[in-house]
Amino acid sequence: MKTLMLKLEPVIWMLFSSGMMIGALLLPVFILVVALGGGFGVVGGEALGFDRMVALATHPIGTLIVLAAMALPLWGGAHHLRHLWIDLGGLKTDGLVGFLCYGTALAGSIVAILAVVRLHS
Amino acid sequence: MKPGGPMPTRTADPRPPDKYPGRGRYPSYLAFGASGAFLMISALLLIRGVWALGDGGAAWDAYRGALGHPISLVYHGVAFIGLTWFALRLFRLFPATQPYRMGPIKRPADAVLVAGLYGVFFTVLAVGTLFLGGALL
Repeated sequence: MKTLMLKLEPVIWMLFSSGMMIGALLLPVFILVVALGGGFGVVGGEALGFDRMVALATHPIGTLIVLAAMALPLWGGAHHLRHLWIDLGGLKTDGLVGFLCYGTALAGSIVAILAVVRLHS
Repeated sequence: MKPGGPMPTRTADPRPPDKYPGRGRYPSYLAFGASGAFLMISALLLIRGVWALGDGGAAWDAYRGALGHPISLVYHGVAFIGLTWFALRLFRLFPATQPYRMGPIKRPADAVLVAGLYGVFFTVLAVGTLFLGGALL
């Protein structure tokens, strides 16, 4: 098990670092245009319309971008929150908090993959 | 002063630094860690949106309607500011995480790296906003 974890370590660290980068670059765009622009009614209904959004999300490049923007920030965020908890004196409950953080990231990533697969089916 | 046998090395109990957590650089350090909540919540809300897209036009319209709720608007406003601050701080710290050589080339000066990353961030934000908002294509 220890050997397996050592082999997986670069992959796990890649999830954390790429999660921070992808989240920092892509999530502000989604928030600004869809959540705030759409929510305030500044961005027109046609731009955020169902047909256009499906076309963008099912394009091969769009699918990759959407999948990365959904799944990777979960891992970066989980790692940050777990270490924040340790910094705030929660070392004794690190096992539970780590399980909750990474468990949420894993479950969210699976749902993200399913959400994309549903779009293509 | 030779010990009688093997025994654990005595060390002082760990304690937080003097200015921790409210002064010096620690508040921004902790806020940077707390920004992980914005990453997770915003990603989960994006998953919710893509899931609604898969459910059809009516579900997508309902999702868009929910984005106009005041709680959603307040959250996303705060999250946008928080994630922008997070991104700029991440890029400012980035050079310190890189080795002296990046592959075959020597690492550029820190200011060049930071300026490049800031440029990428604002370019992605501008082009992404124009594209997703329907102004491009």
